[in-house]
Amino acid sequence: MAVTRRRLRTVAMNLAVAALALVTLAPFAWMVTVSFMPRYESSRYPPPIWPSRWTWENYYELLVRRVIDGAVFDYRIVPALGNSLLIATVSTLLGLLLTVPAGYAFAKLRFRGRERLLQLLVAALVVPGQVSMLPLFLLFRELRLVNSYAGVILPGLAGIFAILFVRQATLSIPDEMIDAARLDGAGEMRIFRTIVLPLLAPVTVTLALFLFLGSWNDFLWPLIVLADQHRYTLPVAVAAISREHAADGELMMAAAVVTTLPVLLLFLALQRYYIGGLLGGSVKG
Amino acid sequence: MGGRAHDPRTTRRSLIAMGAGGLTAAALATTGCLRRHDPAALTFWGTGYEGDYSPHLAAAFTTATGIPVETQSLPGTAAHEKFLTAHAGGSLPDVMMLPSGWVAEFAMIGAVAPLPDPALATDTFHGVMRPLTFAGVPHAIPWSVGSQVQFYRRDLLGEVGYDAAPLTWDGWRDVGAKLKRRHPDRFAILMFLNWWDTLITFAGQAGAYPLRDRDTRGDFRNPRYREALAFYVSLFADGYAPGVSSNEIQDPLAAFAQGYFALYPSGPTLLTDLHRRAAEIAPDRWGTARMPGPNGPGRVSAINNSIAVSATTPRPREAWALARHLTSAASELTFQRMIGSLPARRSAWTSPQLADPLLRPFAAQMELPAELPIIVEWERIRLEVQIVAERVVRGGLTIDEGLAAMDARVDAILARRRELVAAGRIA
Amino acid sequence: MTGSVHRRQQRAAWIFAAPVLGIIALVFVLPTLLALALSVTDYSIYALADWSNLRFVGFGNFADLLATPLFWRALRNTAIFAGLGVPMAIGTSLATALLLHDATVRWKPVWRVALFAPYVTGIVATAVVWRFVLNTRFGLLNWALAQVGVAPVDWLGDPRWSIPAILLFVTWKVFGYNMIVFTAALAAVPGELMEAARLDGAGAWTRFRHVTLPAIGPTLLLAAVMSVAGFLQLFAEPYVMTLGGPSQSTVTVLYFMFDEGFKWWNLGQASAVAFVLFVLILGVTLVQTRIGRRYEWL
Repeated sequence: MAVTRRRLRTVAMNLAVAALALVTLAPFAWMVTVSFMPRYESSRYPPPIWPSRWTWENYYELLVRRVIDGAVFDYRIVPALGNSLLIATVSTLLGLLLTVPAGYAFAKLRFRGRERLLQLLVAALVVPGQVSMLPLFLLFRELRLVNSYAGVILPGLAGIFAILFVRQATLSIPDEMIDAARLDGAGEMRIFRTIVLPLLAPVTVTLALFLFLGSWNDFLWPLIVLADQHRYTLPVAVAAISREHAADGELMMAAAVVTTLPVLLLFLALQRYYIGGLLGGSVKG
Repeated sequence: MGGRAHDPRTTRRSLIAMGAGGLTAAALATTGCLRRHDPAALTFWGTGYEGDYSPHLAAAFTTATGIPVETQSLPGTAAHEKFLTAHAGGSLPDVMMLPSGWVAEFAMIGAVAPLPDPALATDTFHGVMRPLTFAGVPHAIPWSVGSQVQFYRRDLLGEVGYDAAPLTWDGWRDVGAKLKRRHPDRFAILMFLNWWDTLITFAGQAGAYPLRDRDTRGDFRNPRYREALAFYVSLFADGYAPGVSSNEIQDPLAAFAQGYFALYPSGPTLLTDLHRRAAEIAPDRWGTARMPGPNGPGRVSAINNSIAVSATTPRPREAWALARHLTSAASELTFQRMIGSLPARRSAWTSPQLADPLLRPFAAQMELPAELPIIVEWERIRLEVQIVAERVVRGGLTIDEGLAAMDARVDAILARRRELVAAGRIA
Repeated sequence: MTGSVHRRQQRAAWIFAAPVLGIIALVFVLPTLLALALSVTDYSIYALADWSNLRFVGFGNFADLLATPLFWRALRNTAIFAGLGVPMAIGTSLATALLLHDATVRWKPVWRVALFAPYVTGIVATAVVWRFVLNTRFGLLNWALAQVGVAPVDWLGDPRWSIPAILLFVTWKVFGYNMIVFTAALAAVPGELMEAARLDGAGAWTRFRHVTLPAIGPTLLLAAVMSVAGFLQLFAEPYVMTLGGPSQSTVTVLYFMFDEGFKWWNLGQASAVAFVLFVLILGVTLVQTRIGRRYEWL
């Protein structure tokens, strides 16, 4: 009796979780199927779930630079993809270069003003980034950084959260290891490179993932700073198209697929690090 | 996760290295084969259909002069901020399409250059140049004039005894009532609550100028504006028009074609859409007429576009050549064929392609645009007035409360202007 | 000996930390101070035209804000977003975490990844997808509702439903993050206590109330307070899906600031709004520290 009740409960729980996962993924699935539908097919009632015939035409129109009667028509999505990739990669690499040493310094190096600076950093977390956006624009205008890649990347490098994250992870490294190396006469750089970095490897990967996704998905600041369509990142390009083409469901879904697919693939490949980083090692599997 | 044969640290390290390497390679590869911004090319920004189809006109320019042109189409709802931030950031395009109402504002902030030769803008209609003039000097060339007219269903109006569209407000209400009686689930007039053009038309018809005291205060409570707003609201209140905004009716043309609406105030580009989709609605079933006024047709809202050249362009001579090309009669007629926008150049109107009887109401309205203030804040005032009108239609305010709210809001928006005018710093 | 070690550490620390601190000073501290300065001027498009038009106005911008009906509307909308959204998001995260935590559920990592997927994707693409999902006539949601006999809802066109519509989307997008956070917290619930309660004959609800809830309480509250701060900064969703409409029902404080600042170039006014936003979030964070201290967590 108790066994059947338990079996029933198992089935019910698993079904519930599966249903939840299905509902969560449904918008993505629909996004993909609509993107392959012929034009205007989705503007019907009842809304179709499956394309009557699978076609690449939406992707073709979105991605390919077409020349009609000598005139060039281009949504410039592929350049936007390239821009996003470039900016996200540079942001991640530079971000790691800047924040990992800093996080270590705040954790393990003794220097004057450390505690005061730490308090200021934590306090700075309170201030929402948008407060500084308007004057930052004026500032970048003086520095001639408006409408440039550097202008997009630079604000993202102020990684207060990243510093604190790395610091938290570094605190768990035993002091004795580092002090022993110091007594052996190793320089601080050497200690950092040979002892600390290898230990921080998983944290670095997690942080790299956070930074990359953060930069890839960043929307508001690139929207403000980039004027030239050639430099648009993917979210800005898609937002621009979405204003005028709200009724073109298939085209917009194709654009959405192009924007989310790389991220989902990256996440799937490295989800262990991402979720593992958030779980903090407290949950197995 | 099961056990591993390798040392996890090495696996992780190689994973990281591969990942970083792969990404960098991909990034460099993509940017390497990216089409780079051609430094020799002129840049042009447009909005709407004009922006989308400007590559055609640009191609002709490149063929003629050998100068490449890169066009960019901005979404209309984001254009104002895109232009402003581009100016503030020093990245305006060489040539740009501006709605006429923005030219004075952009001239004031020094974004657009004055015309090097006033002759560029003389071949146009009276009233079109007024908004484009700042400090006595024209700062843009008129490109297209899009007066609002009513598109009407001949067959539906015929059913209720009208062989032509009514040209008076009473006529509109009569048509609305009759159609509503015949088909209670349908509407008569297609107007969106978030579009300001129809209310401006009614105000123009009633002869109401919205501001007073040298354009520093609102004058919405004057009886003429009240008359216009009351008429506007009554159309919704009596069910002749649906109280919806533009994103609720995905395909207004389909609704018009299917008979859900019999009267559709719109601009010239609707002609092109209707011709393209003649399969859904045959050309003999619809016609165009001037918008109705209290006592017959009068001044209407007009969405006019003009071409301006950036004040900071490094190549003014070529930029003005492009501007001249875009506003030539030939280019404007090409556009008329492609997207229906009507030329602002008077000499273009002698062309046989504009002799179509459907275009006659537009031609008649060209000389009669609604008189609107030419101030920096007008764009914002227009939007906010429509928002208040929407609230009145939705029942949140009475008409008098709405007018008072409009005045209050507009007075607040114009506060800075009031101070500057009082200090004598602006005209 | 110790002195030179300390000096070496000092030098190394500055080499390690100075670059990023310098960037933080440039792109964060300096502009924030400038924002404060801007908020007491009347920087507008007239100032963009001519510097000499700029004047110091003290609290003038703040007074103007208080007299602007749309500002109050934005505050109200933002409050509704947070008031409805936080329970929705936290509740969903907690429910799914509890569901996933159950011992009888198999393939946990798979479900975790599936449920977390919306969080990693960008806001614009998913907002575009959901704008379509919420479409009155052709959208998936109304179709699904029709299958169970519910009349179609005008999600994005009716001012009464626009906020819930956007909240549906936001909940879907963010619940994965706190789900993971709560999963970690649930794993830390003392197992012996649970066993003891079960042996004592306590039902599932009683076990939850007296064992689980106190154990994850601090995490729950921290997540809720951080969630409020997040909802106070809602911008991209109204920007992409509704343009602040219908009837300005989805204009949030940040949307108002963006429009005021970049659409109309009233940077003085917009900076004042930014300052108000800052104060609101500061208030939320103070609540967080107070709660944290009470639970002896900080």
